[in-house]
Amino acid sequence: MAVDANKKNPSQDEKKFKVADYKRDLKPVWCTGCGDFGVLQAVYRALNEQDIEPENVGVISGIGCSSRLPGYVNAYGFNSVHGRALPIAQGLKLARPDVTVLAVGGDGDGISIGMGHFPHAARRNVDMTYIMMDNFIYGLTKGQVSPTTPKGDVTVSTPYASVDSPLDPVKLALSFNVSFIARAFAGDLKHMTQMVKQAIEHRGFSFVHAVSPCPTFRGMNEFKRVRGSVNYVEPTDDELASKAAAFAREEEFAGQINLGLLYKARRGTYDEESDAVKDRSRASRGREPSMQELLDTFRP
Amino acid sequence: MASNDIIIGIVGSGGDGVITAGEFIVSAVSNEGLYSFLLKSYGPQIRGGESSCRVRVSQNPVQSQGDELDALVVLSWADFIKFEHEIDIHGATAIVHDEDDPMPEEHAARWADRPTYSIPFKRLAKEEMQTVLTKNIIMLGSLIELFGLPDKGIRHAIEKKFEKKSAGVVSKNLEALDCGKNYVAENITKKDDYFLEFTQSEPKLVMEGNAAIALGATVAGCRFFAGYPITPASEVMHWMAHHLPAVGGTVVQAEDEISAAGMVVGASFGGEKAMTATSGPGFTLKSEIMGLAAMAEVPMVIVDVQRGGPSTGIPTKNEQSDLMQAVYGSHGDSPRVVIAPTDVEDCFDTAVQAFGIAEEFQIPVVLLSDQFIGQRKETVRPFDVSRRKVYDRIAPTAEELVDYKRYRLDTDTGISPMSAPGMAGGQYPAGGIEHTEVGDPTSRVDLHVDMTEKRYRKYKHIVSKYSFVRRYGDEDAEVGILGWGSTKGVIKEAVAKLRDEGHKVGAMIPQLLHPFPAEAFDDFLGGKKKLVVAELSFRGQFLQFIRSRCEIDAELHHIARVGGRPFSVRELYDALKEVV
Repeated sequence: MAVDANKKNPSQDEKKFKVADYKRDLKPVWCTGCGDFGVLQAVYRALNEQDIEPENVGVISGIGCSSRLPGYVNAYGFNSVHGRALPIAQGLKLARPDVTVLAVGGDGDGISIGMGHFPHAARRNVDMTYIMMDNFIYGLTKGQVSPTTPKGDVTVSTPYASVDSPLDPVKLALSFNVSFIARAFAGDLKHMTQMVKQAIEHRGFSFVHAVSPCPTFRGMNEFKRVRGSVNYVEPTDDELASKAAAFAREEEFAGQINLGLLYKARRGTYDEESDAVKDRSRASRGREPSMQELLDTFRP
Repeated sequence: MASNDIIIGIVGSGGDGVITAGEFIVSAVSNEGLYSFLLKSYGPQIRGGESSCRVRVSQNPVQSQGDELDALVVLSWADFIKFEHEIDIHGATAIVHDEDDPMPEEHAARWADRPTYSIPFKRLAKEEMQTVLTKNIIMLGSLIELFGLPDKGIRHAIEKKFEKKSAGVVSKNLEALDCGKNYVAENITKKDDYFLEFTQSEPKLVMEGNAAIALGATVAGCRFFAGYPITPASEVMHWMAHHLPAVGGTVVQAEDEISAAGMVVGASFGGEKAMTATSGPGFTLKSEIMGLAAMAEVPMVIVDVQRGGPSTGIPTKNEQSDLMQAVYGSHGDSPRVVIAPTDVEDCFDTAVQAFGIAEEFQIPVVLLSDQFIGQRKETVRPFDVSRRKVYDRIAPTAEELVDYKRYRLDTDTGISPMSAPGMAGGQYPAGGIEHTEVGDPTSRVDLHVDMTEKRYRKYKHIVSKYSFVRRYGDEDAEVGILGWGSTKGVIKEAVAKLRDEGHKVGAMIPQLLHPFPAEAFDDFLGGKKKLVVAELSFRGQFLQFIRSRCEIDAELHHIARVGGRPFSVRELYDALKEVV
């Protein structure tokens, strides 16, 4: 496995890499004040905390402002097509279990066009991390309503106010049985770094809801608004193991943004299950078959 | 009269075990060293309803399903009537049916002078074997006695099929087989001319195209497969699920067609050879991801086992109407390769070649098969699985990894060495966005020009290395026939028949369709005065495609019809006969 959760993270002196080693030269296209800068910094630092070799990291995205992130990380990046970060990231992880895989993208990418993949990645418990940068709007296409935009908001595609109720990615993740769920805010780099780091360390499919405000299309006060409504939570171990407790917390503090580790469980991962399948497939024939022996399976 | 090439059709209801009986015959004769060809046909609902199969048994290699049936076995006339228009019989076809399901009056009148055998299959099953489930085995037993099907081979096939069940199951089925045999021996007088006479030879394999593709892919080094259930392609996934894990591979049934294609791109980006398989509607869903693979230059193999369309169409039956979609179904100028297998064994070879092209040229390759080859069972001679060369993708050298340029432009072939995770210095951002040589996003027009040209530069080299076509008959004939994919078998037989009669005829079946093997076409078309083009596409997609790529000076005869039924040898023979 790429990351050993039990291994103590090396101190900066013991590390082979510096934070700067995870940076690529390419300058981000993001607007001034964009929350995505904070998420990017958190990704650099989380990777550096574990001193993972850049060549053993895959960062996969779909389409959107936030999906530009792989271009800024010194890793095997993939800025794919809209909504398909999770299939591509899962394909990479299943073919290469030795690689640390991050899928990144926005709210529209993840729970609008790409929503069909989220429950299935969770169901398989593929050992990877999904960071959803939620800015409550479509930024790259210039300000349309997104699946997380509050009801009643005026956007370029809802000039008479939006009539759709927003989705909460964390509640969705809970109902999909995601095995690690955290929320962080781009305005608190230290906390977000910790959340991303723990997510990477988690064995299984981990989800970080990264609240990442968009001043350009949600207004200059957006950062202030979000900062004013954050609520740091520190559930006990028992509470962390309970989806009901996590769901109740989200309901109880509706209108507030709960930050922290919200739910965590250890379940068999896809690569573990997949290894067992390989063993069973070999056991029925005594050993690994040669190609010519596979041809012999066609003998009547 | 002895015969060494017999065609038997069996029709019944979904639960009658019609297909199973046909499979027993194919297994049996292949094991005896004979050749066979089994076509299955189901109603649209797949489970339940009417089902039929036709099996051709021959001492010599067979190219097609043949024409009219020599024997027709009807377990249920109600089901036969639904299929009647698809079942061709000739003047002397023997009819076998259940005594307790009398032949409809209309047929009885029409077929009065035919050899007809009434056998109480169902009653024998109930009364002699105490279970109606043995009906199809009793029927098989009667066919052994009536038409000389190999007794020993069928017994072996039954034993093998039920070997994992209790010994009682095997003996019960063998008893049922004897029950049918004995009934015919004691009660029926042979009235027709069909009785198989054969010499045993080396046992052969039984394959269907879908499984042959899966085997070919595995031999080519494919170790990741993602798919989604769809008729008539699911058997590719089934074979992979069964065997790929044993050689260390991973098989995922994805949540949808798009995800299956996406996973394949992800796995391939990770350095693994990867494949997905689908049919027409699923292929449409995958086409956005294929554009991504073309742009990011990620190798992938996509199998399209064509069925009747558009939309749900007739999922259990054949058509050649995805050609335009396979070649052109994309946004943007999107390079891809389309190759079409021509028979079951060819599915193996073209699958190996599909990976060769995809990996070497870092390009999506469509393996355009169809239901007719995908789901039929055919006898195949055992072969050396390493007979086709396996190619791997070109990785950057140590020097190339210093200031690595993933999409280097100064390459003659358009191929720029591709790194994979784990290679230090090989990190780069891939993507669907136009990019610079190092992979950074760009909207610079000059780079879009250069990169598009780089991606298409591969075509020239693919055509020169993989321009594979099949030619039959006389090279210098003035009359020619062109077809593609599964039409090969009937074309080959029709051409052979005409040549036996002293006519000069030549045929070409291209396996590489796109990029277009222009030289091979020019070579074939040169000197042709008359040309027949045969395809199972109502609007004639194949001819349209050829015409967009080359001039046809010959007098043209176009047979373009909807699918559902494969071409018969007679259909193409008649068309050629008219022009020779």
